[in-house]
Amino acid sequence: MEHTTLAHHLLLAGLLFALGLAGVLVRRNLLVVYMCLELMLAAATLALVAFSRFNRTMDGAVLVFFVITVAAAEVAVGLALIVALYRRRGTVSSERLDVLRP
Amino acid sequence: MTSLIADLDLAFKALSPRGSDWIAILPELGVAGLSLFALLQAMVVPERLRWLIPATARAGLVLIAVMALAPEAAWRQLPETQLFGGLIRHNLPMDGVRMVFLASALLTSLMAGRFLTARGAGLADYHHVLLAVTASFMLLVQSDHFVPFFVSLEAAAVGLYVLVGYLRRSEASLEAGVKFLVAGGLSSAFLLMGMVLVYGTLGGPGGGDSLAFPVIAKALAAGKGTALTLAGVAMIMGGAAFKLGAFPFHSWIPDVYQGAPTPTTAYLATASKAAGALSLLLLVTGPFAPLAAKVAPALAGLALLTLLAGNLAALATSDIKRALALSGVSHAGFLLAAVTVAVARPEATAFNYSAENVVVLYLLAYVIGTFLTLHSLAGVPAAEDHRRPLISLRGLIRRSPSLTAGLCFGIGSLAGVPPSVGFVTKLLVLVLLVQAGLWWVLAAALIGVAVSIHYYFGILREAVVRPGEDREETAPLETGTVSRFIIGALSLGTLVAGAVMLAR
Repeated sequence: MEHTTLAHHLLLAGLLFALGLAGVLVRRNLLVVYMCLELMLAAATLALVAFSRFNRTMDGAVLVFFVITVAAAEVAVGLALIVALYRRRGTVSSERLDVLRP
Repeated sequence: MTSLIADLDLAFKALSPRGSDWIAILPELGVAGLSLFALLQAMVVPERLRWLIPATARAGLVLIAVMALAPEAAWRQLPETQLFGGLIRHNLPMDGVRMVFLASALLTSLMAGRFLTARGAGLADYHHVLLAVTASFMLLVQSDHFVPFFVSLEAAAVGLYVLVGYLRRSEASLEAGVKFLVAGGLSSAFLLMGMVLVYGTLGGPGGGDSLAFPVIAKALAAGKGTALTLAGVAMIMGGAAFKLGAFPFHSWIPDVYQGAPTPTTAYLATASKAAGALSLLLLVTGPFAPLAAKVAPALAGLALLTLLAGNLAALATSDIKRALALSGVSHAGFLLAAVTVAVARPEATAFNYSAENVVVLYLLAYVIGTFLTLHSLAGVPAAEDHRRPLISLRGLIRRSPSLTAGLCFGIGSLAGVPPSVGFVTKLLVLVLLVQAGLWWVLAAALIGVAVSIHYYFGILREAVVRPGEDREETAPLETGTVSRFIIGALSLGTLVAGAVMLAR
């Protein structure tokens, strides 16, 4: 652990964030898109903990708890919506979301 | 070790909320209490007394609005007063800000009653979530620290996902909900990453709590910001601009507004947009104020593009809800223009109103105009709520003069026809732009007004001038007494409110 620096943590967080963003933009399955969104939040949380540890300020570590709580609430509502949509339409592919158009 | 614990104990005592802190947010606590009360009633109130649930919510909102305006009250704090150990501070003109949110919630509730009952959806849950979101928005705009800012923003967003996808049997509503969910989730992720970068790059041993707005402002003024900090600031402002629906973050707006139940559309257009504009104003005049030289040109560019993009896209639309959604984007441009002036020339005033006050007044006028228009529109029957083509309004003047009058006053105010309140507030923004010398934004605003006349009056032409064809329905429409009263009161509001604003 002596050899890991703040830069390592930030690099990993940045990679995870980019991976999540790429997934949101590229994937068509809504569940996978949603998992990628959660990955982006987790990446931000990792950066937060790393900064908190290396800056020696506790505030970031406290914010992490709020982020986790908020993410849980978001998942509960989000999955409910996706399941309701699946029941109506029989698909969770974002390409088939075409009721609303100009 | 014992001394450390004693220090911690002291720190906790210094930060723990005092009684006066709770009183300062009493209106917000009241709205949150009403929200819980709606849920409680849903459990105990028998079926035939169900009308009590929206009725208590509305009465409560009116009471809280009266209470919030009471002179010399303890919940109207000066911006100098720190509350909750620096988590909350009344930086914005709270009277007007609270009115914007309370009025939006009240008018949404009045619209939702008939609308949801006709579609067999429950009113209690809707009111519970609506009031919880309103309380969150009201706390959001008083945050002075990123923790309450993030938590109230996200609490509101999660509630809004529910409100958009509320009609579980409607594919359009669910589709709009899922689209809003993905777009909103993406913006929150960027917002959080931005907050983390700002926190991390400005903090350090002895640097203080770099999630607190005053600490951030101090660190930025001392030149501690790096490129990573600027990236974080940009991400945070992008997240707020998404809420506001500013270019280039407006692509979710037409679909979500069209698919959402019409009362939710009205709430999204007013309260959610207000939260976006006010939180952006809060950030750029508070923690990011030392970056004004960099932030102001970016905001001016965004305002210019938002004004043009919203108006031009609305021209090419034939669905009324979509056209109103895109016209909302152009109103976001006006709001952004006023926010830009607040950063670029804080001392600029229009008719003795500062740029901050103009933002709030513009939002109040926008609330009146939007609810009047959408309330009148919701009175026109449609087979599907998400399909309201322009021709469905044809011959409306012979079917229902009161709805047509409401539509005329509402759209007149949104378009900015004198002497409506919409005209007065647009004028205030234009005067501010002249004072700040933002000529390009001024030009875009004027072009926007000219273009908007075309599509706004396209809607009115269908309703008033075009004769109903023989296959169109010509039967008169039934409009309830309450509905007529609301339309009358809001129409009067568009005429009187502008004069009141100028007289003060």
